[in-house]
Amino acid sequence: MTGQTLIHLQDVSKRFVKGKDTITIFDHLGLTIPVGDFVAVMGPSGSGKTTLLNLLGGIDQPTEGAITFDGARVDTLTEGQLARWRAHNVGFIFQFYNLMPTLSAARNVELPLLLTSFGRAERRRRVEAALSLVGLAERASHYPREMSGGQQQRVAIARALISDPKLLLCDEPTGDLDRATADEILAMLQLLNREMGKTIVMVTHDPEAAKYARRTLHLDKGRFTERDLVA
Amino acid sequence: MRVFNEIAVVTVICIKSIPQRFWASLSTVVAVGLVVTVLLAFLAMAAGFQQTLRGTGAKDMAILMRAGAQAELNSGVSRDQARLIEEAPGVLKGPDGKPLVSPELYVIVDAVKKSALPDDGNMKKAPKSNVTLRGLGPAGIAVRPGLKIVEGRRFTPGTNELMVGRALQKDFVGMNLGDTVKLGNASWVVVGVFELDGSVFESELWADTPVVQDLFHRQNVFQSIRARLTSPDALLALKDYAANDPQLKLDVTTEADYYAQQASRTSDLIQKLGWPLAIAMAFGALAGALNTMYSSVAARAQEIATLRCIGFSGTSSFLGTLAESLVLSLAGGILGALVTWAAFDGLTASTLSGTTFSQIVFTFRLTPAVALQGVILALIVGFVGGFFPAWRAARIPIVEAYGTP
Amino acid sequence: MSDLYLLWRNLFRRKLRTFLMMLAIFVAFVIYGVLGSINYAFEHGVDSVADNRLVVTNKITFIQPMPFAYVNKIAAVKGVKNVTYASWFGGYYQDPRNQIGTYAVDPESYMRVYRDDLRIDPEAHDTFIHDRTTMLVGEAVAKKYGWKAGDRIPLNSNIFTNKADGSHTWELTVAGIAYAAKEASNTNFILFQHENFNESKTFGKDTVGWITLETDSATVNDKVAAAIDDLFANSTAETNTQSEKAFGKAFLAQLGNIALIITLVVGAAFATILMIVGNTMVMAVRERTKEIAVLKTLGFPSWRIWRQVLGESVLLALLGGVPGLAVAALLVTLLAKGVSGAIPGLALTLPVTALGVGFMVLLGLITGFVPAWTALRLNIVTALGRL
Repeated sequence: MTGQTLIHLQDVSKRFVKGKDTITIFDHLGLTIPVGDFVAVMGPSGSGKTTLLNLLGGIDQPTEGAITFDGARVDTLTEGQLARWRAHNVGFIFQFYNLMPTLSAARNVELPLLLTSFGRAERRRRVEAALSLVGLAERASHYPREMSGGQQQRVAIARALISDPKLLLCDEPTGDLDRATADEILAMLQLLNREMGKTIVMVTHDPEAAKYARRTLHLDKGRFTERDLVA
Repeated sequence: MRVFNEIAVVTVICIKSIPQRFWASLSTVVAVGLVVTVLLAFLAMAAGFQQTLRGTGAKDMAILMRAGAQAELNSGVSRDQARLIEEAPGVLKGPDGKPLVSPELYVIVDAVKKSALPDDGNMKKAPKSNVTLRGLGPAGIAVRPGLKIVEGRRFTPGTNELMVGRALQKDFVGMNLGDTVKLGNASWVVVGVFELDGSVFESELWADTPVVQDLFHRQNVFQSIRARLTSPDALLALKDYAANDPQLKLDVTTEADYYAQQASRTSDLIQKLGWPLAIAMAFGALAGALNTMYSSVAARAQEIATLRCIGFSGTSSFLGTLAESLVLSLAGGILGALVTWAAFDGLTASTLSGTTFSQIVFTFRLTPAVALQGVILALIVGFVGGFFPAWRAARIPIVEAYGTP
Repeated sequence: MSDLYLLWRNLFRRKLRTFLMMLAIFVAFVIYGVLGSINYAFEHGVDSVADNRLVVTNKITFIQPMPFAYVNKIAAVKGVKNVTYASWFGGYYQDPRNQIGTYAVDPESYMRVYRDDLRIDPEAHDTFIHDRTTMLVGEAVAKKYGWKAGDRIPLNSNIFTNKADGSHTWELTVAGIAYAAKEASNTNFILFQHENFNESKTFGKDTVGWITLETDSATVNDKVAAAIDDLFANSTAETNTQSEKAFGKAFLAQLGNIALIITLVVGAAFATILMIVGNTMVMAVRERTKEIAVLKTLGFPSWRIWRQVLGESVLLALLGGVPGLAVAALLVTLLAKGVSGAIPGLALTLPVTALGVGFMVLLGLITGFVPAWTALRLNIVTALGRL
């Protein structure tokens, strides 16, 4: 770890208008995540875990405050600019994998490369590399419905890695998996963090899962209750 | 009874769920409705045309034309032949004791349809249509008891006066009472408008025979002879009479038969165009119905499986789904019939008849029998479109009841 | 893999549904192709007629004859090049239902005026000109009855009586076959000598049905037509002179408003598929709301997803419509043979095809518009259920 800041949230507020009421999720929240960090975010339902992930991933915008990524403001980008930014900088891993049912594993992994200018051969090379990394080289031509949950999640990880993003965002990545498979997936994330230097933010309910992280943040009613210092 | 209850329950569930797929269901209804409208428009056209021609022939009116002529246009009959027919057996005599026989002249003239009139109203540039000008003998009106003069009066013999059929007057330019009509190089004045049971004659112009003969250089020749019979059976006597006289090489038929034969040709043609088009379109609508019903079954899969779990039979799921499809298509069929009725029933159109070689004005008629054909087509679409999805519904495995949403 | 691959996979995600959509579109374009071709033939079939050809008919109506003397008078009008004339015979063979368009013509001048429309063997041509008892038979007629040069055929008229024996029959020898020089021309006709006709009929002697002439150029058509009509003004038989094109169009118009009927039917067919396909596309896109949200999360820009959905519906329209037009082309070819040239120029022409493809694209864009718009405006946060 270099100690260099990757993400910085400054006085971020997020409010939703629901009917007549305004619901405040965050009120002047601050957070700094250095490059190479692996943060587990825990907290009860409705504490704002997912909203935090959405803000970090640029799929939602704060009502107030500033978010910087690698020294550049993210919260001021337009929707189109955000899309391009996500394609280059962030990889997403979801609880229910969210693979395209009509595409094979290899094609699912290849999907983000459609947003790049790589040629066909380069794309194939990268897809093969990513699938071998997650140990699924043999299953490249299988469709999601033909794979187990753990395998599907590994395909999702390969997809998240393919464009070589700095940040991986995981939303309950093991929430739908049994213990053994979950440990496998978590070990893989840990490896990606340690060996490849990927910065990871993972939302989870599972204290066991949080153990794989370098530190754990507890979120309650939009505030961090405990702050584990950078290891 | 239990089975009926089951079916009733599932049917109600299916039909009540239609609003949940409002747009898909509506698209099926409208698609079926459009198919039925196309079919019914053609059938109403055929029925209207047929009704006009069928309404023309009286069974106790004989029409005599030159042997082999097939149509009045091609025929030629002499004054002598007309005289012989006046003496023929089976011919009815009028109150004045004179036989009801009318030698008639048949000339085709040009006129302009209202729909063909160019925007600038310039008659000279308008495409012209063939119209029948009939020269009537002195008994010409007496042989047609159904005739009603609805405006003006009869023409005065020996003058350039015209009577105009109601249908022609409505559909053509410059045919109103008092209008001057130029036919060839003579001017005629419209002095009367007549109706005759909605028949083909209402698409004709009528004038005095000697005047027409004179202006069209057709002295001493006629195209047909109309003779009123004492009864429809008297036709045989008249036929025998004509056959036995070498001077009378004439074809003798009843007017009813003459026009019915023409009617069937054209209305057959219209039906032959309408049915294949409607059937082709029905396949398109069927695709829509199948889609809607498959999505309906998919949406209710859990519901159906739950019912099966409770103990409902597959048959009730099958029939319930089929009922939903039939309800949608029936709505489409009725919609189509209503649209046809509103848009086409009573609409007048005219076409060139192959045999008379002149325009026949007719009215679209959406009869209940015709409408029924449309509804039946709709139900066929609904049945086929519901059958396969219903089959799937009946076979939904019960474990689907526990399925994840 | 490309966007097209993605689009293809999505399109065939539910094969039965896609197949049914394609079937509906296919049917609509078969209907469009066939009816559109018929309409096109009716509107443009007469376009192939030479521009400088005029037809003179009796002003009362075109079936009323004119004095024979008009032919020479018209030939003397300034601007008139070649003149020929013809009369309607009302011909049929054996049964009155077997009607054949039979014309009594002046062979030499007729061949001169219609030189570009008919293809006749020189030998047959000579025989027809020199032998009064011969006739030229159109290809369609010859094929139907199996006639060949040298056959003696008794031809009946439903109008005229033969002076020779008081019958309605004329015995004529086939001089040869007349072929259409232009594709899909009507060859359901018989030509025989007007002189023979004139001398053997019992009434209507020395009259002609209509006179056809060529002008020096199409630009003087109006002047020549006016001069001819003036020439016979206030005579017993006034004339109406118009271009052969206008004459043909006016005749077709008498059948009824064919263009309107066709437009209504094709409109109904298109409205049907618009409803069905549009609705299904909405359904199909709604089903994959979540997938679209994932694509957006991965960084796919909105316009690209928008393009994908529209591309899918356009591709669907093309996949159904192109085979539809192909089948229509086949049907039209069969139909053209079936009616043996009664609708000249009946074929699936380039303009009809191009318009059809245009309709497919339009159909695709319209049916794809609502779902594409939904996809474009899709909010990732709500779509993924991440609130």
